[in-house]
Amino acid sequence: MEIIKSKNQKNRIMKPRIIFLMLALALTSSCKKFLEEVPKDEITSGQYFKNPDHANNAVNGLYRTGAPQFYDPSGGIYSGSRMMFTPYISGYIDNEFKGQEIHAQYARNMSFTGDNLSSYIQSMWSTLYAGIARANTAIKYIPMTGGISDTQSKKLQGEAKFFRAFGYFQLVRLFGGVPLITAPYESQENLAVSRSSVEQVYALITSDLEYAVNEAGLSDVSMANNGSRITKGAAAALLADVYLTMSGYPLQKNTYAKSAQIAKLIINSGKYQLTQHGRNPDNSVMLTNTAYNKLRLADRSATEDIYYYEYAVGIATSTYSNWAFPASVTSETKFSVSTNAFAPVAKFLQGYDAANDLRVQEKQYFHSTLTRANSTTVTFDTAPYIWQDDEASFTSASSGKDFPVYTYSTVLLTAAEAVALSEGVNADAVNYLAEVRSRAYWKANIADIKAQLSGLSVENFVREVWKERFRELVFQGTIWYDIQRTRLFPVPGANGDIAFEPVVGHANAAGSTIQSRNLLLPISRDELQRNTNLTQNPNY
Amino acid sequence: MLLFILFSPGLLMAQTPTPVLIKGTVYDKAAPQSTIPGASIRLKGSTRSTVTDDKGRFQIEVPSPQSVLVISYIGLESREITLGDQTELKIYLSSGSKALDEVVVTGYGTQKKSDLTGSVGIVTAKELLNAPATNALQGLKGKVAGVNVFLNSGSPTGSPRVLIRGLGTINSSSNPLFVVDGVVTENIQVLNPNDIERMEILKDASSTAIYGARGANGVILISTKRGASTEGVTVGYDGYLSLGVLPKKLEMLNAKEFLEVIRRGFENDLLYRPTATTHPVFSTNDRRLFDAGGNPLYDTDWQEEATRTAVSHNNQISVLGKSEKSSFGAFMNYTNTEGIMLNSWLKRINGKIAYDANPKKWLSLGMNVLINNTKANEAEEDGGGQSPRRSMLEMPPIFPVTWPDGSWTNSSMISDPFALESIANPVHVLTTQDRLRKLNQIFGNTYLTFHIIPGLDLRTQFGFDKRDNLIQNYNPTDLINISSPLGYASIENQHSFYWQEETYLNYNKELGDHRINGVLGLSWQERTFEGDFISAQGFSDNFFKFNSIQSASLPGAPSSSHDKWTMNSYFLRGSYSYKNRYLATFTGRIDGSSRFGDNKKFGIFPSVGLGWVVSQEPFLKDVKNIDELKIRSSYGITGNTEIPTYLSLGTISSSTTLINGTRVSTSFVNRLANPGLEWEKSKQFDIGFDLAMFKRRLTLGFDYYRKLTTDLLLDRPLPTSTGFGSVRDNIGSVSNKGIEVLLSGIPVRTDNFSWESTLNFSYNKNRIEALGLNGEDIFPGPNFVSGSQTILRVGESLSSFWGYRRLGTWSTAEAAQAAAVGAIPGVAKRSTERTVIGKGLPDWTGSFINNFRYKNLDLSVDMQFVYGVEILQQFLHSTEDRTGYSNGFKRTLYDSWTPQNQNTMIQQIRNGPFSGQNSEVDDHWAANGSYLRANAITLGYSLGQKTLEKLKVKNMRVYLSVQNAFLITSDEFKGYDPEATSYGDNQWGQNIYFHQYPKPRTFTLGASLQF
Repeated sequence: MEIIKSKNQKNRIMKPRIIFLMLALALTSSCKKFLEEVPKDEITSGQYFKNPDHANNAVNGLYRTGAPQFYDPSGGIYSGSRMMFTPYISGYIDNEFKGQEIHAQYARNMSFTGDNLSSYIQSMWSTLYAGIARANTAIKYIPMTGGISDTQSKKLQGEAKFFRAFGYFQLVRLFGGVPLITAPYESQENLAVSRSSVEQVYALITSDLEYAVNEAGLSDVSMANNGSRITKGAAAALLADVYLTMSGYPLQKNTYAKSAQIAKLIINSGKYQLTQHGRNPDNSVMLTNTAYNKLRLADRSATEDIYYYEYAVGIATSTYSNWAFPASVTSETKFSVSTNAFAPVAKFLQGYDAANDLRVQEKQYFHSTLTRANSTTVTFDTAPYIWQDDEASFTSASSGKDFPVYTYSTVLLTAAEAVALSEGVNADAVNYLAEVRSRAYWKANIADIKAQLSGLSVENFVREVWKERFRELVFQGTIWYDIQRTRLFPVPGANGDIAFEPVVGHANAAGSTIQSRNLLLPISRDELQRNTNLTQNPNY
Repeated sequence: MLLFILFSPGLLMAQTPTPVLIKGTVYDKAAPQSTIPGASIRLKGSTRSTVTDDKGRFQIEVPSPQSVLVISYIGLESREITLGDQTELKIYLSSGSKALDEVVVTGYGTQKKSDLTGSVGIVTAKELLNAPATNALQGLKGKVAGVNVFLNSGSPTGSPRVLIRGLGTINSSSNPLFVVDGVVTENIQVLNPNDIERMEILKDASSTAIYGARGANGVILISTKRGASTEGVTVGYDGYLSLGVLPKKLEMLNAKEFLEVIRRGFENDLLYRPTATTHPVFSTNDRRLFDAGGNPLYDTDWQEEATRTAVSHNNQISVLGKSEKSSFGAFMNYTNTEGIMLNSWLKRINGKIAYDANPKKWLSLGMNVLINNTKANEAEEDGGGQSPRRSMLEMPPIFPVTWPDGSWTNSSMISDPFALESIANPVHVLTTQDRLRKLNQIFGNTYLTFHIIPGLDLRTQFGFDKRDNLIQNYNPTDLINISSPLGYASIENQHSFYWQEETYLNYNKELGDHRINGVLGLSWQERTFEGDFISAQGFSDNFFKFNSIQSASLPGAPSSSHDKWTMNSYFLRGSYSYKNRYLATFTGRIDGSSRFGDNKKFGIFPSVGLGWVVSQEPFLKDVKNIDELKIRSSYGITGNTEIPTYLSLGTISSSTTLINGTRVSTSFVNRLANPGLEWEKSKQFDIGFDLAMFKRRLTLGFDYYRKLTTDLLLDRPLPTSTGFGSVRDNIGSVSNKGIEVLLSGIPVRTDNFSWESTLNFSYNKNRIEALGLNGEDIFPGPNFVSGSQTILRVGESLSSFWGYRRLGTWSTAEAAQAAAVGAIPGVAKRSTERTVIGKGLPDWTGSFINNFRYKNLDLSVDMQFVYGVEILQQFLHSTEDRTGYSNGFKRTLYDSWTPQNQNTMIQQIRNGPFSGQNSEVDDHWAANGSYLRANAITLGYSLGQKTLEKLKVKNMRVYLSVQNAFLITSDEFKGYDPEATSYGDNQWGQNIYFHQYPKPRTFTLGASLQF
């Protein structure tokens, strides 16, 4: 350093040389670390599942990925939720924006193919598998998580298996035997998996759900009383539905008894009941405070909702309330956009007894009028009233009401059908169906209803259950799944009666002929290109 | 580092200088009365140089009487003059046949233009600022063949997109590399165009390979202004005042016509809903809007109301100085640019100081610091929504801007049951919404050059770019369908810091017939980014906005991010010229990047360029009229690294989800790891020639290139059953082939009048050669009705539009066929399958620029054209295909399907809210997107010598210009301007537009003076 400080002429010339040498040393010294990549806002896979919180976080994510996303407006407000797609196929449900939302148009026209709806169908498929993949990761790593208790591990595995089973249950009903992937992908090996049989898929579903119901130690209280987490009842409701579905087409494996047994488990737990109508002093039903209106106005029901998809204003705002009004009356509400994305067609409404069924009365399940502040009334195409959220529609434009996926009605109707088909039309079967029906037939006497049902043959009784499923479960979007498993198409007749006719060759409610291929959706061209081991469903 | 041995202290002890000041004037030999302004005077063997002023005069300091001056001017033969004891020179330049001595910046050094083997485009400050520009890229448009600048927006905050030689990538950035004064910078969006001295655009592999892994999209080298080249102090002022206006209005329905469309739609409801029990009934009972006779009280022209005459000004003061051993330049600029849509503006204050010195014989150094403060109220330009650029067309004309009591209107304020879409009126939105963008930037660089031995320099330079962005948005509580009733505020901070250190040796040597030039160096780069974001809804009034976000009742989830990448590189260039005839350049760079897989950190990017100056060969040397003919060719490999960080790693993303009414933590594996992830490579071949004829009055440059990009950094589609949609992989390839032509001539050059003319054009053909493992189609968006608007498919061009064909409208005779697809006569008839219906990237682009000078007057006419391209007019979705929700085009009333007018593409009037609608992407939306634009017409006047002397001013020019003077498009095109996107910088959004911020026609009065 002394040299550099010196004023001596000769040494001044030395200066550059020293600088060069220093530079040369400083800059050429290889520094491998310089190019190392160390993310700070993401963790790498080696750092995951190191403590119980990681396991918990992995399961938390499952509540809003995969199968549950069918209840989300993920395609935008005009397209409805994916849950609505199969009801569109039946033709009984319409979307007033089908002129730009081609999936609704093609569904109603029965003209959908893996080409013309490639991206829509692919979005269903990939959403379901994304949820399954995350569940697979959770299921694999929860038991290996450091510091996790056995109780917590089982509970979390139970929740994860519930969501994996739910994903596969949607897939197998929509697409048939699909690739069965039960472990997370961690490298690019074996990406293109071929189909498993329908039976193999159901085997995984039932084994996952049997674990969730019987081994996971999930709480046996209602979901609302369980911090909105999956309960034993939720897993059982799904499993009862699975066993009922397996008993029908295409598998026709007689598992009615299992379905009945699981459904009864829920019923006999005493944790659930149907919401009852509010009554006037004279004991007549208060039409503004019926069970349906109570359910409509509540955020969720602690007794009737078994599994729901959650919404909260500011975190995840619901759009179901926007689907309670057609576009023609948007300006009567606070909404920016309202659309009748789940519009029941007139023929569908004929499935209810217009005089005696409370559900079809104005402002119960549906509505078609709105009374303004100045007492004038505007009428519009019938739209779902059950989703109408007063606060959102007329004040905040934001709804946080949860969406019920499995309700106690579903379980009762599942039980009625499964019991009738496994044990016969006994008192249990009659009681279960009558419980749902008598709430709707508000002027009728429950004893009369039971009496009418008790005398029916198994076949006729089951048809009564199907009719009630058609009417009661419309907002759960299960209509097409019932058509698939029964291979019968419901046709409303006079006074709310419904006939069931062979589905293949029948026209849907939009007048389009249903072909046998339509009982499954096509695989998207997109996925067929990506996975060369995958085969298309027949005749697509 | 053996090269350091070359250093020898003895060589630095050279002779003691006795500086001499030389003055002179340069004349044109052909017209001995005329002086030549702008001629270059250079001290041979040094970088010291100056240019003549407007009277052809110059002064320069030289070290000794033995010094040699090189005087050159474009189009004329250069001369070398040994001074002897002359101090006052009269120099006559003649048009000759000798190649030019122009020097080109080539990245880590300069080269003589005559020695270049690569394809380099040059734009000078004069060309860039020919017409006023807020953005440095505006002036670049049309100036260089093969460089396509898309000015997609008329907003002052609009960001142009640049593509050099086509689009050669899919999931990586297609932006060229911007290098400002040797410092790589992420964009030049906010760079003050007045600070730019020149731009060099490196196009082929021979010129870009020195930037290796970041050169594949081409490189734009920007040199900013520095100190004076002659001694003394010069003060300059440049400024303009401009007025921007809306050049044309689209033909929307007026109030009466709008009501007729509503009425007809209601009438037709029966046709579309035969079974419905109720049908809408047309009424005009709302007395706020209609008189007793049902006539509308208002007929608002929303395009008129939402736009204005935009007044903008720009002021630049420069102080340039030079003393014996140093020079400095100080620059201050204030720009205030208004957009033609209300309340959109950009204000920029900008300061720059450059200092260069030669304190020692063995040392030169310099510093350059630039400080930039930009504030803007940005116009929303992407997506659909209810942005004013859309609502100024779609807001029904029956509403006034405000009610008589002064309160704002919106489209739901009508009691008649029209069921209009909820639209906040555009004047209300523009006036009350805040979209503030505030940037502070400090950019600096410094260099030290050690002159080791004559011809060998060691240069080390350090540069940094620090940017702090603050983004503040507020949407008031009363903007229906935007933020009503809760209001919305957000605040986002983005901080980036980039630094680089580069050190290299530069060697220049002439030995008889041999001339060599070499560069060898290394580079370190690092960029860190930190961001945070908060938002809230639930404002009780509109007072606080984002200034007290805690007053809102519904806070959104906060977020933050951190990101960093590094690069470490080694580069080398050697060029050799023999007898000025045979030229060769070898370039190579080894780049290491943190972004790639552990096994693939480093990549090698070599290139070779060869040139043959045929005109120097004996057989051509004496051919009259051929001044220069050079054939050159190059081949090389460059790369693209511009992908997000961490993609080679399998990482876990964390955020929150909703459980039990609150946010709870969640995390998930967000991608498959790919430790083999590596560089995208572009192999480029170029062959071209430069020809100069008739004493350089006619020059022609021609290039043909083929560029094949392989190992595309592609989001390779995976079977989604894996749970992953894609993995970033090196798979697929894209080719670009094209030609570039630059033809310029000086048809007339006399004392009083001259005419210079330049035509440049280029053709590019793009093709996807391979995708994924099985050639899978990819639907990359942007998404609109019918899903992705574009498709990536092997054999097609990138940016191909994806949609149906519109075969017409169903006629009454075809009722049965229509019914089969759920339609009735009057509805659009489309193909059943989707297909490629156009593409958004043009085949041909070019410009034709003419400069005229008559005595002190100058006139420049700059025309630009684009040919062989389509534009997807998504706005037809809501202005034509869908009626009754909002306002639409006049032709929906007059040209649409009726039983009497069945041969039309335009569907029957049908009321959207009641009868539904039919709107899918089809080729009726895809119009020919070719255009011819009068980009700028400028008339200038430079003060004569006598006036200048009287005013004691060195130089003064005033000018008047019109930008976007006229635009010719195809008849099919119904929008404002076919150079457009509504998808920001989305790779695939070019020429897809829903609604556009119209480009203004701008009239400018400007002046520049130096004293």
